[in-house]
Amino acid sequence: MIPSPPFLCVITDEALCPVSLAEKALEGGAAMIQLRHKSASGSQLYSWAIEIVNLTKRYNALCIINDRVDIAMASRADGVHLGQQDMPALVARKILDKYTIIGVSTSSIEEAIQAEKDGADYIGFGHIYPTSSKEKGYPPLGPKALQEVSKQISLPIVAIGGVSLYNAALLLSCGASGVAIISGVSRAVDPSLATRKLVSAINKRDS
Amino acid sequence: MEHNKLSRTPLPRIFLISSGEEDPDHNIRLAMQLSRLPRSISCMVQIREKQLDSRQLLALAQEVRNIELPEDTLLLVNERVDIALAASLDGVHLPESACSPDKLRPIAPKLIFGCSVHSQKSLSIAEESGADYLLFGPVFDTPSKRRYGAPQGIEKLGELCRATKLPVFALGGITPDSASRCMEAGAYGIAALSIFQDPSRFVETIEQFHHIISP
Repeated sequence: MIPSPPFLCVITDEALCPVSLAEKALEGGAAMIQLRHKSASGSQLYSWAIEIVNLTKRYNALCIINDRVDIAMASRADGVHLGQQDMPALVARKILDKYTIIGVSTSSIEEAIQAEKDGADYIGFGHIYPTSSKEKGYPPLGPKALQEVSKQISLPIVAIGGVSLYNAALLLSCGASGVAIISGVSRAVDPSLATRKLVSAINKRDS
Repeated sequence: MEHNKLSRTPLPRIFLISSGEEDPDHNIRLAMQLSRLPRSISCMVQIREKQLDSRQLLALAQEVRNIELPEDTLLLVNERVDIALAASLDGVHLPESACSPDKLRPIAPKLIFGCSVHSQKSLSIAEESGADYLLFGPVFDTPSKRRYGAPQGIEKLGELCRATKLPVFALGGITPDSASRCMEAGAYGIAALSIFQDPSRFVETIEQFHHIISP
């Protein structure tokens, strides 16, 4: 089960130790940690996954592993997050039990609809705003696109890309169930405090 | 689908490793080569294409799985248990930096797990974590393995083979001429990348190896 909205997903940063970052984000109230580290070895990724799974359990949050379905299975993580260059969700579902969460990165309505058809449990949608965290080959999609995609699919949407204290609440109003963040937390002087502020921003939107 | 061939038959003794070349036609070349494997010779085939992303690797694994291969051929992929499961391959080859077999076998009990070993330490880890076979190299000098340092030599191969009961495949610069020396040193079989690259000599090379190392 993915967290009830609104929720914050913190994605680990290649440049920092994912375990200590996860711990700080969990202290700050993140409901989902995504372990994403493309250059780590399998054994390294597995041991980080085991540690983060233990942490997320303690904080009643979720641990999602990027790309490596096998590492997610072996570490008993709550789910996997698959990009468009990763294993298709349809295939991943065949080797996973039905309780394991599958998230899919999308950047268009077509990809979002396909992810829903393929049996994803949530989609990441973005990047909404300019971001320095990843090299992007296309311009930011903007909150309007988020609004459009939320009308087309019924899956929970996690908005990603340039999320900040100032736009997080708007993204939820545009149909996102949650927001995901990398550098806004990882590069903060106090990642725990940065997380707490974001969590409070997304929870304040109706008041 | 049952792919637990390990319990039924001994492992093949020739171990083909795909080259991982940055070549857009490489996938087709690999598939074509494999479809030319002599019917009477079974091989281990490892798809080792680190340059591919997960989706491309899955597509290649599925494509290779669909090729009609000699009976008892075992298809493996480098490291990725999820790809092996999704494409119904027979096993996974684990580099030293990968997760150990004991962590992975619970999620894929029917797969064969092999481990690269370059030292006594990695041998102990592989044995204790339940590897099904070992891959040791580079035994001789080879362009594809030069970045892994100096050749380990035939004596080290012999030491390793005496130190373990597991089948050991010798890798690195092995030619039909040197294959018999590896077998005399105690290797179970031989593994190679480069020597299988020349399409015009592929079948001939396989047959030569088969002739030399068959017990």
